Amino acid sequence: MTETFYDVLRRQGITRRSFLKFCSLTATSLGLGSAAAPQIAHALETKPRTPVLWLHGLECTCCSESFIRSAHPLTKDVVLSMLSLDYDDTLMAAAGHQAEAILDEIRTKYKGNYILAVEGNPPLNEDGMFAIQGGRPFIEKLRETAADCKAIISWGSCASWGCVQAAKPNPTRATPVHKVITDKPIIKVPGCPPIAEVMTAVVTYMLTFEKLPELDRMGRPKMFYGQRIHDKCYRRPHFDAGQFAEAWDDEGSRKGYCLYKMGCKGPTTYNACSTVRWNEGVSFPIQSGHGCIGCSEDGFWDKGSFYDRVTDIKQFGIEANADKVGATAAGVVGAAVAAHAAVTALARARSKSGIDIKQGQEER
Amino acid sequence: MHAQPPAGHAGNPADALQRAFARIAATRMAGLPVCNPALAVAVPAMRRHDGEWLGVLLTPWALSLVILPGGGGRFRAIAVGESQDWAFPSGSYTFLGSSEDGLGPYQTCSLFSPVFEFDDQAAAEAVALAAFDALLQPGEGALDSTAAAREDAEAARLAGRPLSNQAVSRRAFLRGSLFGGRE
Repeated sequence: MTETFYDVLRRQGITRRSFLKFCSLTATSLGLGSAAAPQIAHALETKPRTPVLWLHGLECTCCSESFIRSAHPLTKDVVLSMLSLDYDDTLMAAAGHQAEAILDEIRTKYKGNYILAVEGNPPLNEDGMFAIQGGRPFIEKLRETAADCKAIISWGSCASWGCVQAAKPNPTRATPVHKVITDKPIIKVPGCPPIAEVMTAVVTYMLTFEKLPELDRMGRPKMFYGQRIHDKCYRRPHFDAGQFAEAWDDEGSRKGYCLYKMGCKGPTTYNACSTVRWNEGVSFPIQSGHGCIGCSEDGFWDKGSFYDRVTDIKQFGIEANADKVGATAAGVVGAAVAAHAAVTALARARSKSGIDIKQGQEER
Repeated sequence: MHAQPPAGHAGNPADALQRAFARIAATRMAGLPVCNPALAVAVPAMRRHDGEWLGVLLTPWALSLVILPGGGGRFRAIAVGESQDWAFPSGSYTFLGSSEDGLGPYQTCSLFSPVFEFDDQAAAEAVALAAFDALLQPGEGALDSTAAAREDAEAARLAGRPLSNQAVSRRAFLRGSLFGGRE
């Protein structure tokens, strides 16, 4: 008999009532509306469960730390129940040979049908000797488990871009996952760490619907990385009106003026911090008075001080993003091109009930 | 918690808005690298909508939808950090509150910022006008392009191709799909 997620959750002591509540929470956080909740419940009750292997390469475990602090306790319990079954060397109960045996078992039993979540990245210098797990280089474990997986989630900026361990001159040749594994669909969830709610939503979406969320050109889920911090920042009106903090603790700082002149990377950073926020929607760096350091952007660790003003916008990766197409297109100024640029900008600006929940609660 | 509705602008406030932001451009924003020197402050469209003034504001650092009070009673003079949701035929939009000396309270919803994608004033104003039109029409165009993108993503997944690092064809680029679209 095939085992479903519902079976697993019940076995872990989650009541049916909690399960149904989880389904409606998930539907909302994904912006799908309450009508999708029964579909999610049905899928989890009937489809065979998808195992998740969670590997750790060169990293600091901040992704895991973020993940296990997902805002809603129920979401956390349910998602962890889904994940902890298989392999995560930080969270699993098994150890030693027993633990490593799970990898082989999942690979054989669920060949081509499990999700590989990778936190951190493999160092390639010296045949991968800078990250040894179970007596073998991490790169070998990654290649083997990736060979039979359905899709890969690259957690955080390490797996997505390389992050600080890849900073120049990158002595260990720490390399992001997509440059090592090239024959599998890869979903990048960058950030140092990524927002907990974003992580649980991505994982739940994939497990529930058995498909990838919609991705942008960089391979990031559009629903969370479609906007820059700057686009929805609550201090944005100060930017638009040219009101800036000029020094730490000056009058502008105290009035909550825009931190652009203090090095805020909000205008060049794609992430959901300004809408979803952190710590159960309490705050995010800019709200605490510090500029965004751009931790979800490729190369943020090698682009100078966090307090340097963004002077060359293009250097910070906007060119590499979807906007590049807009730039070329708008230069042509065909009426149809202008209309397309306008319509897509409006779509981006529209309120999305799903990810704006937290902010919405603060509004009246 | 509703603020008193501010006194509305009796006449079209487009000129007052343009003057206020031209002053900001010449003073507080002068010389900042986020400004696109090819652009100037302009209000390509502004008209009365449901009793308030609805328009689009172009500055060298942003292109935004803007609402000023027209006396219709729905506009709330809210502080920076607060927001008000507005429904238009194309959907619901969250506007952020602000206020400027000599202009009074206003609300904006950002469409582009920074605005380096525009080579000249004509290109930016064309997009501004197109956005204003599209705002007041049911938005089907955007749905088409995301549906196509979804199909692309699904096709790639089924074929086992990685979704990142895919080449952008001229066709996909012009059609504005997942790997060639703006969003």
